[in-house]
Order: sequence, then C-alpha cells, then structure tokens
Amino acid sequence: MDLSYDVKDHYAEITATGRLNMVSAPKLREMVAEVVAGGSNRIVVNLQETSFMDSSGLGALIGCLKAARQAGGDLRIAQVQPQVQMVLGLTSMDKVLTSYPSAAEAFGND
Amino acid sequence: MTDSLARRSLRQEAVPEAIEAVHAELDAIWSDAPFVPEMDRMRFTTAVIEAATNVVQHAVPETARPVELGVEVTVTPAALTAGVSAYGAVKPGDVDGGAAMPGEEAESGRGLALIRALVTTVTFRREDGTNTWVLTQTPLEG
Repeated sequence: MDLSYDVKDHYAEITATGRLNMVSAPKLREMVAEVVAGGSNRIVVNLQETSFMDSSGLGALIGCLKAARQAGGDLRIAQVQPQVQMVLGLTSMDKVLTSYPSAAEAFGND
Repeated sequence: MTDSLARRSLRQEAVPEAIEAVHAELDAIWSDAPFVPEMDRMRFTTAVIEAATNVVQHAVPETARPVELGVEVTVTPAALTAGVSAYGAVKPGDVDGGAAMPGEEAESGRGLALIRALVTTVTFRREDGTNTWVLTQTPLEG
C-alpha cells in the first residue's frame, strides 16, 4: 500500500492506494499520528484506490478515528469501494465510519 | 476432486509478507475460473485473508522451528474451498471463540466473526501438529 497526505485549508487528506491489511495497517496508524502531531485534527482518508481492507485495516481506521477525536477533531472516510463497504457493513462499522462521496464533502458541512 | 476447475496452493514461513503472497494466489486463481461472480470472489478472498492473518498473528510454534502458513484453494462449479493451515503450531486454545463481533471501540477481535459472516461454513481440524481451518462458500451466486 502507498500512503500519502496533503494538508488542506480545513482538513488533511490521506490517500491510501492498495490493500489495507496487517502489513499496511501500522503504516496508516503512523501516518495519522504524524498528521495529528503536525496540528491537523480533521482527517479524511480517501479510499478510492483502496481495493481491499480486512479486520486489521478496519482496526487501524478505528484507532486513527480515536486519535483524531482525542485531538479534538474527527476522522472521516471518502470514496469507499465495494469490498471495503462490504467489510464495514458486515462488522456494523458503517454506522461509525460513513463514506462521503468525496474528500471535500467529508467536512463540507462543518 | 475430479470436478476441480482451479487450484492454487502455497506454503511458506508465517510472516506478514506471506499475506501478500496469499493475495497474489487469490488474484491469479480467478483467471482459471472466470465464471465466479465478483461478489463471491470478494467474500471468499476476504475470508481467506482473515484466516491467513490469524495464523500469522496468533500461531504459536510447537518447537524451535517457525510456524509455516499453508493455503490451498480449490474452485469447483459448486463451491469455493480454502484450507488455511498453521504447520508446526500448538493447538489453539479457543477454536470456537471470537464468534461474536466486538463493540465499535474495539481495534481487534473481528477476524473470526467476519469469516463466519463471509462464508458458508468454517471447520477446524488438528492433525500431526497442523491446525487447519477449512472455509467453504456454496452455492455460488449469480
């Protein structure tokens, strides 16, 4: 998985390309910690190019959500693809991690 | 099995990188079985990766030799079957546990519950120092 981030005016966008599994999950946690340490607490994880996520990846997203909230912000996800949506649905985590149609819309009303 | 249309297997040391090798085998098998609907591929692939990840994360070696991960996938017109094995591992303490989905704050513990939600049957057997989880998905949708 390739991870990168871009700090914008109202949020930081993390782009995750590839598979979010036990190999890449720690890297996502590290990147969110880095972004939060850099002063951004509103984070969008863009999952448009995330072809696969398992429970390790989901656990990392939940940990990252907690980290953002502890910093007084929030973490949201955008452009979720079918496999990731399936995992979110089967684990009932789609209520906690709702997918926005685009990164820009994730914090569009805040 | 005479009506097997596609079969893939691998066996290597149970380290995190092995998960990527399992992904590669699963991606490749569908070219030999193009009739399998996308939703079935997705469910089955996710379940097999969860089971393989469990071996890498939790298998405890029985001797000084490291545990090896084995994955054997078979596609027939009627079913997708995977045997996910931990070679040289001690018997796991809680084979049937972890079936309930943990709360939304939990960052781990969803693997087995997810596998059960994804595939039709999950069985466990132990033979000669090897733990094997057999995942079966049937009938195929579409």
